[in-house]
Amino acid sequence: MSLSRRAFIRNLSVAGGGLTLGFSLSSAGAADTDSVLEPNAFLRITSGGDVFVQIHKVEMGQGSVTGLVTLVAEELEVDPTLVHYEMAGVNKAFTDPEYRLQITGGSNAIRVNYEPMRKAGAAARSMLLEAASQSSGIGTDKLYCDNGVVHSKDGSIALPYGELAAAASKLKVPRKPTLKAAADFRLIGKQNARLDNQPKVDGTANFGIDAPIADTLVAVVVRPPVASGPVTSFDDSKAKAMAGVHSVIAIDEGIAVVAENYWRARKAADAVDIQWQASSSELIDSTAIDSALTAALDGDKFANIRKDGNAPKGEAHQLIEARYSVPFLAHATMEPMNATVDPTTMEVWVGSQSPDLAQKFAAIGLGVDADDITIHNQFLGGGFGRRSAPDHVLEAAQIARALGKRVKLVWSREDDTRHDFYRPAMKSRLAARLDAQGKVESWQHRLAGPSLIQSFAKEMSPAMIPGWVPGFVVDFGTGMAAKKDSASVEGAEEVPYDFGHIDVGFRNVETPVRLGYWRSVGHSHTAFVVESFVDELAHAAGEDPLAFRRRYLPQDSRHRQVLDEVAKISNWGQAPAGHFQGIAVHESFHSVVAEVVEISIQAGQPKLERAYCAIHCGQVVNPDIVRQQMEGGVLFGLTAALKSEITFKDGAVQQSNFHDYPMLRMNEAPDVEVAIIDSDGPPTGVGEPATPPAPAALGNAIFAATGKRLRNLPFKLS
Amino acid sequence: MQKTDIQFELNGQPQQLSIEDDTPLLWVLRDVLNMNGTKFGCGMGLCGACTVHMDGVPMRSCSLPISVVQGKAITTIEGLASNGDHPLQQAWVAENVPQCGYCQSGQIMSAAALLAANPSPSDEDISNAMSGNICRCGTYGRIRKAIKRAAGNVETWEPTSVEDIT
Repeated sequence: MSLSRRAFIRNLSVAGGGLTLGFSLSSAGAADTDSVLEPNAFLRITSGGDVFVQIHKVEMGQGSVTGLVTLVAEELEVDPTLVHYEMAGVNKAFTDPEYRLQITGGSNAIRVNYEPMRKAGAAARSMLLEAASQSSGIGTDKLYCDNGVVHSKDGSIALPYGELAAAASKLKVPRKPTLKAAADFRLIGKQNARLDNQPKVDGTANFGIDAPIADTLVAVVVRPPVASGPVTSFDDSKAKAMAGVHSVIAIDEGIAVVAENYWRARKAADAVDIQWQASSSELIDSTAIDSALTAALDGDKFANIRKDGNAPKGEAHQLIEARYSVPFLAHATMEPMNATVDPTTMEVWVGSQSPDLAQKFAAIGLGVDADDITIHNQFLGGGFGRRSAPDHVLEAAQIARALGKRVKLVWSREDDTRHDFYRPAMKSRLAARLDAQGKVESWQHRLAGPSLIQSFAKEMSPAMIPGWVPGFVVDFGTGMAAKKDSASVEGAEEVPYDFGHIDVGFRNVETPVRLGYWRSVGHSHTAFVVESFVDELAHAAGEDPLAFRRRYLPQDSRHRQVLDEVAKISNWGQAPAGHFQGIAVHESFHSVVAEVVEISIQAGQPKLERAYCAIHCGQVVNPDIVRQQMEGGVLFGLTAALKSEITFKDGAVQQSNFHDYPMLRMNEAPDVEVAIIDSDGPPTGVGEPATPPAPAALGNAIFAATGKRLRNLPFKLS
Repeated sequence: MQKTDIQFELNGQPQQLSIEDDTPLLWVLRDVLNMNGTKFGCGMGLCGACTVHMDGVPMRSCSLPISVVQGKAITTIEGLASNGDHPLQQAWVAENVPQCGYCQSGQIMSAAALLAANPSPSDEDISNAMSGNICRCGTYGRIRKAIKRAAGNVETWEPTSVEDIT
C-alpha cells in the first residue's frame, strides 16, 4: 500500500527534513542494560553473545524478517541464521520516515531501511572493535570481525562479541559508521534461504490468531446485514442458555457473543435475535454505483492530473476510443481478522501492518492512554494492505473492556469478506490519435471512481495523531481531493510512453463503500487499463506489441530493459502451437516489471499455461525472495483478473466465502519464470510491483488468442 | 447441549476429553488443547488450512465434528515429525516455499497424505491432491517442486520418536 507517498513526502519537507530512521537510543525492554550492547533501537547483543534484531517492518510473507536481519548481519559480521528476530512493539524509532506512522506497506521496507539497518550493524561492529582494542591494546586497524568474533590480524586474540558487549555498551555510538563496500558483501545479493521457514513448516509460527488461549474468552461479532444504523434491540435469551456461553453484549459494530471457545460463540451467535435500525441513507447497490461512475465518466468535470505537450490539431487520421472497468475487491488474507486484548494488563496480540494505529484503537476501546498499551505484533497470515486497518482491534478492546476479561476476537471468513476495506471500483475512458504513419500523437485518459484516501482517512480519523492529520485530511477535504489523491490515479499519471500529447484527468465519485489499500493500490487497476489500451494501439498501428512499446520508450530506460529480458525468457513471438502470449510493463513502488502471460483456449476459456516476469529493483538483498514475490504477485494479479469481484445488493456484500469469492488454485496456477535485472542501484520495491502488469498481460494474451478485447474485470470470455 | 466423553489418538498419544459433540475438531485442537499449528481459514472445508489426517486420510478439521473422531487416530502438523524434519518439511525449507506461511500446515498435511498413498505422484496427481488447499501468497509452483523433491525421500525416511510431543 502507499499512503499517498507524495503527500507524506511533502509533509516531511514542510516539517524540515523529516525524521531520521533509527539511531534513537531506545532501550525499551532491555532489562540488564549494563551488559547488553544496544547501540540503537534495532539491535542488541547480550553478554551471552546472542544477537537480537527488531523486526519493525512486519512479516506478512514478503520477507522482511530475512531482509532486515540480512542487512544487519552483513555489517555486523554474524551468521544470519543465528540471529534472533523479534516482532517489534510500538516505538517512535520505528516510525516510517515517509508515512510518519509505524506502517508496513508501499513495498518500502528494504528501500527505506537499506542504509539504516546496515548502519545499525556497522555501529555495533565499530563499538565491538573499539572495545576489543581497548582491552587488548591492539589498534582497531589491526583487528577485524568475523562470524561473531573480533580477531587480530596476527591471530593473537579472538574475542567473541558476547565478551565484549558490556565494555562496548559503555562506548559512544558512532553517528556515521563506515559501511562495507559492495564488493565485500557476503550476504547482500547472495543470501537466498528465508530465515522464517522452519516455524512455518512445523506449525510453531505464531500468528495473531494463535495468541494465548489460557484464561481467554473467545468472541465473535454479529454484524448488521447492511451498512445500517445500530442495533435497536436484541433477544439473547436463547443464546445465553447455550452451552459454554459467557455473555452477549452490544458494541458499536454489532452484537458480540462471548463463549469458552470459538465454536460455542459461533453457534450461540446464530441464536441471537437482533433488530437492526433501518438505514437512514440509501442502501449500497452495485448497479447504482456503476451508473454513478458511468455518469461521471460521461461528464466533463475532471481534475487535471497531467497535461503534457499540445493537443494535435485538425482531423485525426485514426481515433481509437475505449472504456474500461474494474470492480471492488476484497483482500482475502488466509488468516481472518482477529485480535486478543487483555483489559487488565493492557496487552494486545495482533498481526498488524500499523501497530501504532492498533495501539490507538485499542486505547479508544479500553478508554485508556495509548502509551499504556503494549502491542505484541505477530506473524501476519497475509496482509496485502488489509492489516493496515485495525478495526478488529477496536472491537476486541470494546468487548474486553465490557467484560473485564481477556478476549480473543475471531472473525469468520464471511465477516472478513463482507466487512473489508475494499479496493475501489474504477471506470476509465480513453482516446488516442494515430497519424497517417500509425504514430501515436495523443493520449487522453479519464478516470472516475471514489477517493481511497478520503475514505481511509475517515475510517482512521479516531486514531490520528494530531500532527499527522493536516497532510492527510485537510488537503483532501478542501475540494482538491481528486487532484491530490495519487492512490486513485498512480500509474495512469506516469504513462511512460512518448505519445506527444498526454492528458489525464480524474473525477472523484464518492461511494458509501469503505475503501482500503489492496496490494499495489492504484496501480492494481491503472496498469490494467493503460497496458491494455497500449496493446489496442499497437494492434491499430499494425505493430508487434513489444516493438510498439519499445518504440515509445527511452533508449536506456528500465522499461526497455525488463521488456527485452521478458521477451528473451518467454521466446516472445515464438509461442508453441496453440499457445498465445500477451505482454505488459509497468513501473510501481520505484521498480519496473514486465510480464508475458501465455495461454491456450480450452473449452472456450483461457487456460494459464505459463507466465514470465522480469524486474528491475536495484540492488537485490535476497534474490530468491524477489523471485517469490514475483511469483506470488503475478498469481495475485491473475486471480483478480479471472475471478474476483465484490458486489453490493440491498446494502449487503453478495460474496461471503471462497465458493463465491474464489482464488486461483494449484490446478489452475501457471509456473512463473522470473528474471532479475542485475543492478547496483538503490533497492526498490518487490512486494507489490509484480501484481499490476498481470491482468493486462493476460487480457492481451486473450486478445491474441481470440481477437476479443476484454475491457472489464474480472474477464468473462463468452 | 450436553458434554460427551470422547476418546481418540492424537499424534500417537491417547486423548480423552469431555466436550459438546458437535464441536469441530479444529476448535478442539486450537481452543481446548492449545495446539495452534492447525489453522482456521474458511470454516467450510473450502481452503484446506485446517487439514489433518484421520486414520491417514486428509480431512478438513473445521468441518469434522469431534463425535466422528471417537476412536480414530488423528495426526496434526505437530505430530507429522517430532523434530519438524519430515521429508516434506525439509523439502519445503529447501525450496523456500513459505511466504506468510499461514496455509502451509494444511498444505504439508495434504501433501503428506498424498505421498503416503502415492510415493511418486505425477503432476496431475499433485494437482488433484493439492487443489483443495488455497495459498493466497501464490506458492503453488514451489509446493509442487517441494513435493517432487520429497517424493524420492519419503519411503526411506525414519521418523524419530514422537514421545516428546504434547
